[in-house]
Amino acid sequence: MSTVAVEVVYRGIFQKSLARNIVRNIVFAARKDGKIGTAFGRYGDSPERNGIPAKQFAVVADNAEELEETLAQYEPTEVDVTINVDDTLCKGVESWAWYGLQPINQLTKPGGTLIVTSRQDADSLIRDMHQKDSPIGLSILKSTVSFSGLWVYKDDHTDVRVLGNLCNVCPQLVSLKSMLETIREQTGSETKVASAQKAYDTATIRQVEPGEGNPEIPYSFVLPGWKEMQEGVVIKAIEAGGGFRGGEGGYQPVRNEVFKKYSTRSMRPVINFETCIKCTLCWLQCPDTCFDVTPDGLYDANMESCCGCGVCEAVCPVPDCVTMVGEAEFEDNNSQWEMWQKDKEGYNSWMTLLVDKQKSETRTHGFHHVGGYAEEIANTEEVS
Amino acid sequence: MTTVETQLFQTEQEELISGSEAIAIACALADVDVITAYPIRPYDTVMQYVSKLKADGVFDCDFIVAESEHSQFEIVKHASAVGARTFCGSSGVGWFYAFEAITVTAGLRMPVVAMVGNRALDDPGAFGTEHNDALAVRDLGWMLYWVATAQEALDIALLSWRVAEDPRVLLPMAISCDGSFLTHSQAIVNVPTSEQVRKFLPPYDRGKLQLHPDNPITIAPQVNEDWLMEIRRQSDEAMHRSVAVIEEAYADFKKTFNRGDPSAFIEEYMTEDAEILIVGMGTLALPVRVAIRRMREAGKKVGFVRIKFFRPFPTEELQRVLGGVKAVCVIDRDYSFGSPSFAGVLFHELRSTLYPLEKRPLMLNFIAGLGGREIHTNDVNHMVDIVQKAIDTGKIEQEATWIGVRE
Amino acid sequence: MTTVTQDLPPVKGVKNIPLEEQFTSGHRTCQGCESALVMRLMIKAAGPRTIVLGSTGCMYVANTTYYSTPWVVPWMHTQLGSSGSAATGTAAGLASMMRKGKMKQEPINVIAFCGDGGGADMGLSAISATLQHEEYNLLILMYDNESYANTDIQVSGSSPWGANSTFSPPGTLHRIMNRRWKKNTAGMLAVGHPQVRYIATGCASYATDMMNKVRKALSIGGPTFIHTLDPCPKGWDYDPMYSHELGMLAVQTGIWVQYEVEDGKVTLNGPSKMLAKGKKRLPVEEYLKRQGRFAHFTKEDIAYYQSQIDVMWEKWWIPGVIPPSPEDD
Repeated sequence: MSTVAVEVVYRGIFQKSLARNIVRNIVFAARKDGKIGTAFGRYGDSPERNGIPAKQFAVVADNAEELEETLAQYEPTEVDVTINVDDTLCKGVESWAWYGLQPINQLTKPGGTLIVTSRQDADSLIRDMHQKDSPIGLSILKSTVSFSGLWVYKDDHTDVRVLGNLCNVCPQLVSLKSMLETIREQTGSETKVASAQKAYDTATIRQVEPGEGNPEIPYSFVLPGWKEMQEGVVIKAIEAGGGFRGGEGGYQPVRNEVFKKYSTRSMRPVINFETCIKCTLCWLQCPDTCFDVTPDGLYDANMESCCGCGVCEAVCPVPDCVTMVGEAEFEDNNSQWEMWQKDKEGYNSWMTLLVDKQKSETRTHGFHHVGGYAEEIANTEEVS
Repeated sequence: MTTVETQLFQTEQEELISGSEAIAIACALADVDVITAYPIRPYDTVMQYVSKLKADGVFDCDFIVAESEHSQFEIVKHASAVGARTFCGSSGVGWFYAFEAITVTAGLRMPVVAMVGNRALDDPGAFGTEHNDALAVRDLGWMLYWVATAQEALDIALLSWRVAEDPRVLLPMAISCDGSFLTHSQAIVNVPTSEQVRKFLPPYDRGKLQLHPDNPITIAPQVNEDWLMEIRRQSDEAMHRSVAVIEEAYADFKKTFNRGDPSAFIEEYMTEDAEILIVGMGTLALPVRVAIRRMREAGKKVGFVRIKFFRPFPTEELQRVLGGVKAVCVIDRDYSFGSPSFAGVLFHELRSTLYPLEKRPLMLNFIAGLGGREIHTNDVNHMVDIVQKAIDTGKIEQEATWIGVRE
Repeated sequence: MTTVTQDLPPVKGVKNIPLEEQFTSGHRTCQGCESALVMRLMIKAAGPRTIVLGSTGCMYVANTTYYSTPWVVPWMHTQLGSSGSAATGTAAGLASMMRKGKMKQEPINVIAFCGDGGGADMGLSAISATLQHEEYNLLILMYDNESYANTDIQVSGSSPWGANSTFSPPGTLHRIMNRRWKKNTAGMLAVGHPQVRYIATGCASYATDMMNKVRKALSIGGPTFIHTLDPCPKGWDYDPMYSHELGMLAVQTGIWVQYEVEDGKVTLNGPSKMLAKGKKRLPVEEYLKRQGRFAHFTKEDIAYYQSQIDVMWEKWWIPGVIPPSPEDD
């Protein structure tokens, strides 16, 4: 047999350590099986930007010669398993180095498996994924998506649970025995070994057939040749903006044609236009210039440029006027203001529903205060 | 253009000036907009004269004394981006201190013109000439020229802006002048009039690449592996195109100023029917020519080829001139420690130039005049004797020989 | 000879902030990147007739990539240590050509920005030299996210004492690897270049104040300098939504001092002015405990940090600006 490749698709920085733990442990375990492997991050994602999608890989081979085929590359041409540790990335992957929008399952080989850590059900995840012309397996690891930061790791067992699940869906990669032994060596924790074992025992696979999923053809971009490119390393600037939706009133900046932030966020702001006091703060404090100013002085978050930081919610003085809602709740990138204009009651009830649901969820985007993660982990029930 | 014109440039006249001063006068004639200086011997003689010309109102430029060579080259790079004609320069380790700025200037296609007062690299500190400083940029997209006289320094400076700023080229150009022999020795130089120069040298127009609010562009955004090869290929093509532009400009130069060699790229001296051709760059041409005249009188078929443009390198011309001879004697005022045959930089360039020929001449290399040590006619005779021996025996005992070094 | 500058009066109140954007989308900076906000506010304040020079750092590498620029105004990259030289060269080129009639006479803003690595470390001498050229109208803005954030968060001369970084990781033997105290860049430049008409500190959490400082710097004439403190969710390790709050905490704890030095007169402004008048400073722990880069701090470390801030406010000649205290103190 030849090489077995695994990719971990994750949110830059937030999940860097998580992804690293996963790919390194795969290689350690493979050694115990007498195989050889390599672990690496996609160079174009480095240096990582927090929240911006990134990838790490583990490739395992029977011997060094076979492994060589996969070395000195930025990413494998196909993988046996794609591990997605943030379910909102099922919508696609746009790294900051920008290779265009890559479907989450782009590299997953026919018959391969996509593991997703999520609390969503298969149907809602498949709805986000782009269609493939060959079947793959979908294995959902029931889990709250694990985010932490660069310096403090949120040790909630997500890494070992993914590894246990992986051994089940891809037995040709490494044996469970070697994996558990590796986890024992690397962490010295029997509860983590138990977590991995439990994930192995409870792993499930659901076939995703061709034609299932999002039919959209991802935006692609033809790279120009050297004769077409402007000399002097020159590109044209963004054009000056104008009135809201091309009209007279308000303001809307022209936005970059080739880079949209559709998949660079895991949350997006939902605006209550009824309670907005037009204080300008969400618009003013947005690092991504994502608010279009409507003729009536309201602020419409434009999903082309929102990367989901949540500063707008933090600075808004009105309770629940701006609420960050998980990206999984949305199927399009349409204007909320336009929805509200068309059907105010309908919009308001939809918005209220989302806001209330959000309150019941605990999805954090990194470090809040010393000891914060310990408190969060105590509240999660996955740990064996 | 509102250049302050004085007596100096209204009529053609002779001046007793150094190569540095000749280039400073060229700056005035070319109405350069931004000039940056930082002191280091020997190049800075050009800036001493530029500052005097500005102080006396001979010409109007923004003369900026930077706080380092790095800033010196960065400042002109950015002035060039907004469309200003620029000049700066350096020597030895100063040129190396500016290296980051020097490489991006070429990468950004900024037609900066710089004078390199060739100087040995530290350590130890030494003021004398060696060509390793300027040669260090040979792979980066800089056009490189070695002058031999003060007159040539002035003439080539004028040619430099014309070629560098040509929209087909847009590459920086360095004028290399041997320390002391050109930077600190005065000679009679014919200074043209502003009128003649205006005819020859059009204004610098950066067009669509100019950084200005009327032309909103982004220059040098970060790229990844998807882009860089195409950008490098563009620079490669610009260097290819520069050959024809140089020929065109030099022909025009000769017409306007009534002087110049047959070729813009090389100078041939008594090459006709020569069996041995000496090749070198810069002021070593002078003792070599003297030695050759004497050898010719003695009936020896020796000639000399002075390479003027090192980048773009005149491959075809050199193949034509050197192809037929029995032996080529390359004098390097530089070194390339540990290189093939432990020889000099010019030697390697010539060997790869001649390699494709059916009939390849014998090639010998002589490392001479390092640290500014003088090269005398008897040194040249000594080299030719060694070459003759190789021809007679058909055997090269040693490819690279150090001349005038104490054993 | 100084050419005229643009007339950029202060913006009075958020309602009067111009709607026009000169920095839109296309950049790939981190979620909650306060430096990206500084870029946006800086150029919003300066307006369309501006040339921006960006030295290497996050605001180049992640911010402006091929075919994916966020800039509406003309923008050009410059080398890591070259913000000063880039501003000088651009301003000199424009001034020379306008004076000689080679370019239409017009006041064009020239802004060069650099990060703390490019400004407080590598580019310091070039910035100093630039501030000596009174004849050129330009602004150098140093966006300080307190590390070489682009290259993976390495400690810089502007990083706070004890902060975790990939070059100063807390280890089993050495808990505190960065023993350098943060460099006082704006103060040093103000004191060292008395002829400079305007030097200020700012923070995007106080957006109107920051924008008005940019407008004053560009209209007052000659070379000017602004140093902003930019919370960095990646390097400081916190949830991106708190960027704005951490900027305010930095000021309210007295760790970051907001001031202007205009024609030799120092004014502490905003909350910093209140602190100088005796308003109680928040404990630095409120700021430190919110960031993963200080998660390894012990009580003693926090106490030491607090003591240094206390010294700055109680002993310095001018808090945040001039350290030495008067002899008779």
